[in-house]
Amino acid sequence: MNSAINLENVKKTLGSREVLKGISFTVERGDIFGYLGPNGAGKTTTIRILLGLLQASLGKAYILGQDINLSETRRKVGFILEIDGLYDNMTAEENLQYYLRIYGMPKARGSIDRLLDSVGLGDRAKDRVGTYSKGMRQRLALARAMVHDPEILVLDEPTAGVDPSGQIEVRQIMLDVAHKENKTIFLSSHNLDEVQRICNRIALINRGEIELYGELESLRRDMGGGGVVIETAEAIPEPLLAELKNLPHLGLHDAKERSLIFSPQEGTEVSDIVSLLAGRGVKIEGAARKEPSLEEMYSAILKEAEPP
Amino acid sequence: MRDIGPIITTSIRNNLRSKALTISFLGLALMLVVGAVLIFCLLFVAPALEAELPGRSELELYLGLIMFITCLFGVGININVFTFLPLTREKSRGVIESLLATPLEAKDVWLGKSLALFLPGLVLGEVFTLIALIAVNYIYFVPKVGFLITPWIAISSFVAVPLIFICLSLLVHLIGLTGRPATGNVVAQIFLPVIAALMINLGSHRILDITSWPFTLTNLGIAVAVGVVVILLQPRLTKERIVLSRQE
Repeated sequence: MNSAINLENVKKTLGSREVLKGISFTVERGDIFGYLGPNGAGKTTTIRILLGLLQASLGKAYILGQDINLSETRRKVGFILEIDGLYDNMTAEENLQYYLRIYGMPKARGSIDRLLDSVGLGDRAKDRVGTYSKGMRQRLALARAMVHDPEILVLDEPTAGVDPSGQIEVRQIMLDVAHKENKTIFLSSHNLDEVQRICNRIALINRGEIELYGELESLRRDMGGGGVVIETAEAIPEPLLAELKNLPHLGLHDAKERSLIFSPQEGTEVSDIVSLLAGRGVKIEGAARKEPSLEEMYSAILKEAEPP
Repeated sequence: MRDIGPIITTSIRNNLRSKALTISFLGLALMLVVGAVLIFCLLFVAPALEAELPGRSELELYLGLIMFITCLFGVGININVFTFLPLTREKSRGVIESLLATPLEAKDVWLGKSLALFLPGLVLGEVFTLIALIAVNYIYFVPKVGFLITPWIAISSFVAVPLIFICLSLLVHLIGLTGRPATGNVVAQIFLPVIAALMINLGSHRILDITSWPFTLTNLGIAVAVGVVVILLQPRLTKERIVLSRQE
């Protein structure tokens, strides 16, 4: 079966600037794919290529195995762009009806009420969009993205400028859509916490190049370097610390008052370290593999990529 | 080409919901048309009818000018009023970009927006012209010389003028979509007074007989000239150019 989205060595030059320098990645069906990067990294250009708004200078972009420039392919994609593109003078209902007609589904009007209810705008359906708050506009934009029941949603900063409670609502809608309706979501966002909470795979773009790409959990494991953090009930006595330092297979990395950080050699498990410490009379409160947060990964990658 | 009906109807509805623009459009059109009709009737038609034997060709000339100007302003003012603001707003608010991300093509959006601008003006212009034709005839001509109308006046007013303005609407939208809406607006703002002044002078100074086929042909020629410019510029109409022009 074809992947949901597939970019193969896509390059894009605007004027004299090479905005995308040959990026490749795949989004599998059912993924909630986070697309990260600083301002000007090439996120919006990638999205525009995915939606057929810009043409790749080189390389290919496929949606469900088909050329994105075919109108039939675009019919399978719902989207939120950087600017919502809603008509302020029209009501929420009219905005959705308009898009239903554009997608050639005027008879699906009944679905509008359900959709507006699902994004919490049922009671404001007949109000002009110009009177909506930013959060309500984004929820309506999300409803518009789903109005023709697409297989893939391409969302550019859907929670940008939305207050925290609005962000939670939009995030919950995205999760519901992905899990209950089995849709693929391509989410471009600056909100790393949001991406960490809902995405299973990510790509990080910087200066037009993909710096990091893969399954979020395995990336976190890899970038954590296999570190182990042991939390203890009491401070570790100095003689014991000295003894642990002399056991190279444990790789004691750092010792704070009530926590020890190890980088164990291959073959040494968390349970081995726990048993050893327990055998020395250390009361252990917790033990876990150390995994960096997405924010830490993001900062580390960007710092690494900084020109000298 | 896809079904552009939704773009046309929604754009017309959206434009007309802007009270300031609608009032400007109707007010300006009404003022210009009523003003022009009154000036011609009071200054030229009424004195001509006071003569013992009013010249039929002279009366037809005045009627021709009245109908032509009425149609020109009725159809043209709409394009002048509605070109700039709605297109600027729709581009800056991402409406156009969103439409282009649907199965629609750039050409569909262009045609839809152009027709949405042209059609209300067409209806208004034709209705105004028809009212002017009937009113001037029944108030001034019927009692003395009977109902006046020549086929060339009718064709110039009801066919050639709308053709000129549909081409103009296509041109200003082509320029506005692929570049700055303000540039398209400048073309529209200059076009109407220039064409009005040119054709009125040609007619009133009898360089071209407004009731004759050469006048109609001249109007059709202007429509063709604008149409040719549209055809020449049409290769510029790509999604990429439209999307990137928003940032200019």
